[in-house]
Amino acid sequence: MAGRFAAFSFVDRITSLAPGVRAEGFYLVPAGIARFAPSLMAEAVGQLAAWAAMARLDFRLRPVAGLAAETLYRGRIAPGERLDLAVEIDACDDEAIAYRGAASRGGACLLELDQCVGPMLPMAEFDSPEAMREDLATLCGAGAPSGRFTGVPELACRIVEHARGEALRAELEVPAAAAFFADHFPRRPVLPGTLLVDCQATLAQRLAREAAPLQDAPGLETTRVCDVKMRSFVSPGQLLEIRVALIEATAAGARLSVAARADGKGVATARIEVAPTGGGR
Amino acid sequence: MQQQAITNEEIEAVFPKVAQIIADALGCDVDQVKRDVPLIEGLDAESIDFLDLVFRLERAFGVKIPRGKIVEDARGDLSEAEFEQKGVLTEAGLARLREFLSEVPADRIAAPMKAADIPRLFTPETFCKVVIRAQRVAQAAA
Repeated sequence: MAGRFAAFSFVDRITSLAPGVRAEGFYLVPAGIARFAPSLMAEAVGQLAAWAAMARLDFRLRPVAGLAAETLYRGRIAPGERLDLAVEIDACDDEAIAYRGAASRGGACLLELDQCVGPMLPMAEFDSPEAMREDLATLCGAGAPSGRFTGVPELACRIVEHARGEALRAELEVPAAAAFFADHFPRRPVLPGTLLVDCQATLAQRLAREAAPLQDAPGLETTRVCDVKMRSFVSPGQLLEIRVALIEATAAGARLSVAARADGKGVATARIEVAPTGGGR
Repeated sequence: MQQQAITNEEIEAVFPKVAQIIADALGCDVDQVKRDVPLIEGLDAESIDFLDLVFRLERAFGVKIPRGKIVEDARGDLSEAEFEQKGVLTEAGLARLREFLSEVPADRIAAPMKAADIPRLFTPETFCKVVIRAQRVAQAAA
């Protein structure tokens, strides 16, 4: 399948692997892409953890996005740069993986993930276990060719209700077709949770910028995402309702709650913190 | 394995903290978290919430709660075959579960009952007892 192991795969090589315990690897952000969303650093760390878990469970099961208690954004990675990845797995069994990890560039930490939990589901529902086993051999050997990722289409949100600086409600029409669905996942395409978080973070920054203490900030960026909980899968073509509400704002930054619903059912919740760009971190 | 009974005082001691953790995990008001409310039917909890709850309780109380521990403890000294047959609880399994989940009205634990539906019975008190058992294990190990 075109796009499989390419369109949404963010580990190029695994340099150290203790299945179910820890792993290290790297990803070279393709030089030619227009944007590498910060949340994709978290995706890369999560994918490395997934490889370590799947190797432990002999590809019977795979983890999917579930909980992420805390993601700290300490810097950004640019196209053409190498992202070093490391994960420590605290627990891995047939029910779930619990892990933490980090992404760094040249020894400087760019992102920290803590207290993440991914429920396990049958691998065969998502991809061919045999193909995944071969892919892991590639990653642990010579590595996958870099430059496979060509970017993701921008997920456009339409704001339908808006109380300036307080709350907003937006609609996100998930594309019915996109290259990343071929990789996430080949047998069951679902919207990656990290792309949803990126979309929510953009809305959160927009709302925070309207709050009086931050109106003069030159720019805002996401610094922390916490209590992420993914409740259900989002399918291609599904319409999502996203709500963002300001919790508090000061000149140093803002905290916001975000939630996504589909067909009247909760899909995902999180809290997002933003701060003026380059704000002393 | 016969375990020392958990007292009401022990449950009352941990309940406020457990209730707050449940409210945080489910995004509801702590006043809605009564000791006997079924978490799935009463507070719309889903399986991901139980995973979340277990991890939050571990962090808050400094204990380890192995995955699947509640059902494993419920089974007690019964073998898997004595507890369930093809995913459906046996009479012995039902009796054991009524004893283990004493906070749940006995008529809610009736045949036919699938093992996979056991979490539907869980209440905040169930999780208080999970914490107390984990604390006892930690104290015994120390």
